[in-house]
Amino acid sequence: MSLVTRNALIALAITIVLAGTVAYAVNYLNRARVAELSTIEDQLSIDTLSLDTQFSLLEAAPCDSAASSTTLTSELADFGTRLSYAESQLGSDDAQVIRLKEQYSLLEIRDYLITNRLAQACGTKPVTVLYFYSNNGNCSDCDKAGYALSYLRNTYPSLRVYSFDYNLDLGALKTLIAVTKVRNILPAFVINGKHSYGFTSLADLEKQFPKGVLATSTPTF
Amino acid sequence: MSPEVLAYPFLFIAIFFESFVLVTLLSKPARAARARTQGETTPSVAVIVPCWNEASTIAATCDSLLALQYPKERLEIILVDDGSTDATPEVMAHFAQHPQVRIVRKENGGKHTALNAGIALTQADLVGCLDADSFVEPDALREVVPCFVDPQVVAVTAAMSVHKPGNILQHMQNAEYSFGITLRHVFASLNGLYVTPGPFSFYRRDVVEKLGGFRYGHQTEDMEMALRIQNAGYGIENAPRARVYTQAPDTIRGLIKQRTRWITGFLRNILGEYRGLIGSRRHGALGLLVLPTALLAIVSGILLFLLTLFLFARNIFTALSIRAGIPLSYAYLPHGSFDWFYLPTSFYLLLAAIVLMTSVTLIMVGKRISKTPGNIALGLVSYVFLYGLIVPFWLIRATSDVAVGKRRDWRY
Repeated sequence: MSLVTRNALIALAITIVLAGTVAYAVNYLNRARVAELSTIEDQLSIDTLSLDTQFSLLEAAPCDSAASSTTLTSELADFGTRLSYAESQLGSDDAQVIRLKEQYSLLEIRDYLITNRLAQACGTKPVTVLYFYSNNGNCSDCDKAGYALSYLRNTYPSLRVYSFDYNLDLGALKTLIAVTKVRNILPAFVINGKHSYGFTSLADLEKQFPKGVLATSTPTF
Repeated sequence: MSPEVLAYPFLFIAIFFESFVLVTLLSKPARAARARTQGETTPSVAVIVPCWNEASTIAATCDSLLALQYPKERLEIILVDDGSTDATPEVMAHFAQHPQVRIVRKENGGKHTALNAGIALTQADLVGCLDADSFVEPDALREVVPCFVDPQVVAVTAAMSVHKPGNILQHMQNAEYSFGITLRHVFASLNGLYVTPGPFSFYRRDVVEKLGGFRYGHQTEDMEMALRIQNAGYGIENAPRARVYTQAPDTIRGLIKQRTRWITGFLRNILGEYRGLIGSRRHGALGLLVLPTALLAIVSGILLFLLTLFLFARNIFTALSIRAGIPLSYAYLPHGSFDWFYLPTSFYLLLAAIVLMTSVTLIMVGKRISKTPGNIALGLVSYVFLYGLIVPFWLIRATSDVAVGKRRDWRY
């Protein structure tokens, strides 16, 4: 075997090993992301259940659990951001991503229900936004709408934004869609029970909020 | 399918190529070349300096040749004025009385004619070429001569660096030249060199004459001669410690013009008269690996650039359109703290990082094996951040020139 052939074969082996190592590292990091999401999700599940239980226990003074609810919503939002990033890395058809999205959607619905119960019990008027999107390629404005909502949530932490993949095959989500009567025109928003469809600009979206709501929320800057 | 996937084959080939270079660097022939010592044999040598309007540098070039550590009676220096219109003849005249120096003046006919005029004047065993904007280390010739011990070797190249790099562009070129030192050293160990650069390449005079002397060679007479030597079945060696410093363009325009000439010369030679070398088993590494890879590097350089440009533009457009109407303080200022979770880890990025890191390693290897003095840190930084942005311009310009048959003046 000539020196050139021998070296070429060694180089080929090195290249395959390097490319394989890179593929393994990328896969490993993505799995680590999923593992971290699972851990966060487990904790959120416990927190949600805890809040639900707390709410039941404190029937006489349910408003004591309001602070916990706000914290939980904030953690849910962070979890949603991470999940969205993981989805962009792994693909929306990844089985683990779909499972996490389903669990995330369940947690959101649960938090939404608790928020509503707290509002009724304590007489508070939280601003809740149900946001329905699709990443099947049939919603060109969903990315813009999602970013605008991130901005609003960041600016007004008291806003409670719940994002749902409209096409997710999840019974509870389908029920929510049926109950709230949201049509398949995306992006769709249910802001304190009022429906709106499509996204043009942040200013137009802000107009969908009840008058004065954003002004009375607490901006972070 | 993500557009990034298109880049995978090119990145895979780039890693393969760099791995091949590293493996060959550690192989016996390359190690033997590095272990070669300065010999005691002193064949007669003539160094030809072709000049065309080189008044500002020719004196220093000639001084560096006169300082070569070589028996004076065995070394002659032939200054060929190729019809200069500046003060070159006057500067040359200062060396007229020097016993080692001969001065020839002729009508302007191009560098290859100047070299041939110099060769016609000498009976030296070895003839060398030194561009009039280049300067040699005193022991450079002593590094070159032992390479001719092998009778099959008819040409020897040196180790080029940039002379006193001043600006960031020249530092970048210095790093690139250091990369070139490694590549030349490695390819020479497999007889895979296809260019004998103007700065301080040497030839057996009788073989050059037998091959018909230098030709125009599409403005790259040094490449054409090397290809002719390879085509004739001879060997080209490299002396990695024969240090020579050459002046490099200090503007992007000048650099692109210079490199366009090099690449068009390569393409016209290799796709024309020397097409038969590509894929030739008889020519071993040169035919099967070096030339195909050099051609592929041009294609991949252009495609990767266009792909990166497309991805960059698409990402920028998406980011801008998503952020439209959102207050600048939120949209364009970083918020949140560093979190490994969001670390970009795509297959494309990591493969590209491997290619880049290996390139940096090969640059440092070049500096080490040539024992070139000076700090190369600035060169490495500019190479990493600047080189990939500039290269595509001369690649695109050169390939389009070749495609439409456009010829340009080569002076920069």
